[in-house]
Amino acid sequence: MRRLYLFTTGIFWLFVAAFWAASLWLPPTVQPQAIAAEKVYSTADLARHATPDNCWMAIRGNVYDVSTYLPDHPSRPELVLPWCGREATEAYDTKSKGRPHKATTDDLLATFRIGRLAVDTP
Amino acid sequence: MPLLRTLSIPLLLLAATLGPIYWALPEGLSLSRSLGIVLGWAGCGLLLASLLLMLRETRLARALGGLERMYRWHHWAGMAAYVLLLAHPLLLAADGWPDQRLLAWQTISPVGQGWPVWSGWLSLVLLMLGLAVTFEHRIPYRTWRWLHLGLGLAVLSGLLHLVLLGIDEPVLLILGLAAFFLGWRIVRDDFGLAARPFIVQAATPVADAMVEILLKPLSNALAVTPGQFVLVAFFDGPGFRGCGEFHPFTVSAVCADGSIRVGVKALGDCTRKIQSIGPGVMARVHGAFGSFLADRPAAPQLWVAGGIGITPFLAQLRAGPVKQLTLLLYLYRNKAEAAFLSELETLAANDPDLSLKPVATGNTVPDLNALLADVPGLAQEACYLCGPPGMVAGLRKALHDRGIPSHRIHFENFDFR
Repeated sequence: MRRLYLFTTGIFWLFVAAFWAASLWLPPTVQPQAIAAEKVYSTADLARHATPDNCWMAIRGNVYDVSTYLPDHPSRPELVLPWCGREATEAYDTKSKGRPHKATTDDLLATFRIGRLAVDTP
Repeated sequence: MPLLRTLSIPLLLLAATLGPIYWALPEGLSLSRSLGIVLGWAGCGLLLASLLLMLRETRLARALGGLERMYRWHHWAGMAAYVLLLAHPLLLAADGWPDQRLLAWQTISPVGQGWPVWSGWLSLVLLMLGLAVTFEHRIPYRTWRWLHLGLGLAVLSGLLHLVLLGIDEPVLLILGLAAFFLGWRIVRDDFGLAARPFIVQAATPVADAMVEILLKPLSNALAVTPGQFVLVAFFDGPGFRGCGEFHPFTVSAVCADGSIRVGVKALGDCTRKIQSIGPGVMARVHGAFGSFLADRPAAPQLWVAGGIGITPFLAQLRAGPVKQLTLLLYLYRNKAEAAFLSELETLAANDPDLSLKPVATGNTVPDLNALLADVPGLAQEACYLCGPPGMVAGLRKALHDRGIPSHRIHFENFDFR
């Protein structure tokens, strides 16, 4: 049993190191789709994507399609899902205890960017 | 062992594993992510079951086939849970691989995360450290025991991880059960609430580094039968300071007035100290546990004892003559270590069905095959083995080699680590 412990623990740390190294050394194979397209979406467009399977959010003037990321989000779903289809900058900047998300999360968020939010005119 | 009792622990583990998986079975997610979630819940269920299997309760132990069997499964369930829980974050991260490598790393990276992820990491690291300690047998038993119990913190931290992720419906129940099992173990078993007060009436040296202690109950007597063991903690008394921790000792005699005798060999710091114990020392006794020598068949029997392993057989012989033809092979290093030998010779002389074969092995490993070759009618006998783990393992192999089926070989190791 001791041998099993040593073997599995070693393999685990090898995989963790591999995930870390890959994120550092290899460029992402998929570029953010929207940088090339640079589409502009209205708040009405945004509001049409307000379900867990089809969830867009506007944060700091950019629009993100976070549908595929939602299952990975660490906090409880009822905290995140209400922000689908909405301007969510305040929620993004004031997560638990009012703290903003970390810079690494900003990097991750950028990979889901699909365009800009149109500035509403009266 | 009855079939239901044999299946009790495997069925318990199966239910503890499949129950949470059934509740949390994901739909519409990728294979890697689904597998990550399923293995996480399976590990959680196995950890909870392993906590139940560390409780030292006589009725529970009887229902599950004995304390030694519970401990063996406790070890396997804990180890299996550890392997599954190691795979859990890796499979969740693999969901983003290879297209989204940054996402894959961020899924498991503790950097820039909150308590929902940190508590998961804390649980894994505590499990890792706790198991590393568990496999380190050079640590003194007292320190080892408390460090091993620290694995309970890993379980609680893992459950906190689930609560912080917002999964509180079944988790609060599991968290409650885990806290209950841990509290039960600490208060009733480690602090001795389940044990009964006894007092040392006499202590007699019976061999080199071995003493036999007569314990008298100060309240209700325990229900003990020959072949069972009890957990005893010795406290302070005239000229003696006990270590106050519970150790397993096989009963060497069950007296009519409820008193019991236990044989204690100096195997560690605490048992070495016990060699100088005297009358008047307070003790707490928990048990009795084990079913070694219980339900013996009406067939000729071979008993093999090594050193201190003579005590369960002695308790049986002191209770009365044997009912079947019985050969007792008693292995010891030298005469000075041959505890109770003269008493055994007297018992054998007065019991026509009992044959005693004392064997002084010296400091070398005895040739077990040669010893068994001299046993007449071995193929028909039920075999009962008690002694050091190495001797028991060697004897089991030698008996198997001679065609004795497993169900006719009975043994208990009494090793709690």
